Amino acid sequence: MFFQEATPDTSGYMIAGYVITFLVMALYVGSIYLRSRNLKQDMTTLNELEEPVPPIQATPASPPTRSMAASQNNKSAKTVTKKSRRK
Amino acid sequence: MVNKATEIETMTIERTLSKGSFIKAVSAVVWKDLRAEFRSRELFSAMLVFSLLIILIFNFALELDVKTRQSVTAGVLWSTFAFAGTLGLNRSMAIEKDRGCLDGLLLAPVDRSAIYFGKVISNLVFMLIVEAIVLPVYSVLYTVNLFQPGLLLVILLGSIGYVGVGTLLSAMSVQTRTRDILLPILLFPVVIPVLLAAVKASSGFLTGSELADILLPINLLIAYDVIFIAVAFMVFDSVVEE
Amino acid sequence: MGSKPTALKILDILSIILLAISTYLALVFAPTERVMGDVQRVFYFHIGTAWTALLGFILAAVFSVIYLVTKDLKWDRLQVASIEVSLVFFLITIVLGSIWARPAWNTWWTWDPRLTTAAVTELIYVAYFMLRQGIDDPDKRARFGAVYALVGGLSAPITFFAIRLFRTIHPVVIGGTNPEADGGFSMTADMRVAFFFALFAFTVIFIDLFWNRIRLGDLQEKVEQLKLRMSM
Repeated sequence: MFFQEATPDTSGYMIAGYVITFLVMALYVGSIYLRSRNLKQDMTTLNELEEPVPPIQATPASPPTRSMAASQNNKSAKTVTKKSRRK
Repeated sequence: MVNKATEIETMTIERTLSKGSFIKAVSAVVWKDLRAEFRSRELFSAMLVFSLLIILIFNFALELDVKTRQSVTAGVLWSTFAFAGTLGLNRSMAIEKDRGCLDGLLLAPVDRSAIYFGKVISNLVFMLIVEAIVLPVYSVLYTVNLFQPGLLLVILLGSIGYVGVGTLLSAMSVQTRTRDILLPILLFPVVIPVLLAAVKASSGFLTGSELADILLPINLLIAYDVIFIAVAFMVFDSVVEE
Repeated sequence: MGSKPTALKILDILSIILLAISTYLALVFAPTERVMGDVQRVFYFHIGTAWTALLGFILAAVFSVIYLVTKDLKWDRLQVASIEVSLVFFLITIVLGSIWARPAWNTWWTWDPRLTTAAVTELIYVAYFMLRQGIDDPDKRARFGAVYALVGGLSAPITFFAIRLFRTIHPVVIGGTNPEADGGFSMTADMRVAFFFALFAFTVIFIDLFWNRIRLGDLQEKVEQLKLRMSM
């Protein structure tokens, strides 16, 4: 073959590819941010609701289920280590 | 009526299981299912009718003339088995859960995997019986001899893999909110190697390919069966514990 | 749940910088490929996301085993994070693969082993989330998720080899310029730079998103705990 084939102009596809890539990643980052914000709002709301605790309710909840206790223990252990790590 | 009979059977099984033998437990589960199904035939008739309807649909959906038939038969057969199979798997587990048989079995002091193997065997039996009827029907409808030993072997190996994974996944899906709909969604992507290899090997036998070509997919089927039944055996406990 | 740890803030910024540099290398620095033209440039991100997503899925299977053994829900949260991020990355992989296929082989989809397995794998992990959605009990959800991620993680590579062994692929090639059905091309030194940098950049980006997602999971857990405590 002696003729030189011209390189096809496929830049349109390239642009489409990169736009989609950035779009999907941006959407995902946005999704994490939004979910995070909603949860933080939930947490403040829940904490506010918890504030006015009536004096009768002195005893904490009855022994939680096994899985809850396990994860709660892990939680408290984790928060301690997390805090110390952050320092 | 059937409920009462099954309850009595479950109690009998619990007594058998309390003797602690693994094989006894497995066969107890298998016989319970087979006896229950023999009486009601609800699973079996549903799977069979559904399979025949699928073949009918394929006839209208695809040009199954003499030329294309050869290349497409294996695919049509396995699609039929895959779809009808989910029916059987779903019902089989749903029956366990709804009638409370599963809880009864779980109380017995036997390795949970005995339940798994028992269900796999009974599900496999149902599937094989349906396949045993679909094959001659298809043979008659499309004048193709499907009774070659090689093909039958492939159908057996493929069904084992399908039911092995399907039983594990159906044990999970039956405990979710979405139940029946979820099983095909979980099962099909995971069981694709079985379908691929089974169709390839079936097709090979039907078109008279060289044995060397057919051995490769058959080996894959065997490997898949072994791997996934082993994995299911190990994790089944986590799936049925309360 | 306090504010973001400094390390993560640094990682966030680093990820953005690396993404920018990688984009520059892929779009400007690397030469234009002779046969396919500019569309080949998507290849760098295609492989970058593919490689990290695959690692993520393998990691998820490992987390499955660890969770099933330890029953510590922390591993479940790690698994959800890794699968979610991998799912997003793999989506990018698949879309870029399709975009690459279109001008290269005049088809939006080639049923070649890699792309097909990618689609199957993506479906497996979508099914993973659908399974989890149908379960309310967190312990059961974790157990079932672990089992399915393990089964799925094992079946995906088998699917890949099965397709490779049993399916002959016949992609339509424009003008027969590319004899390799694979759409392969040889990389020059500059391309290699862009290629390896993309791999590195996406690994860092993956870790960054993974860490952020884990924090989200931890936050979710905290809120769930609060809700449960309140309803008692």
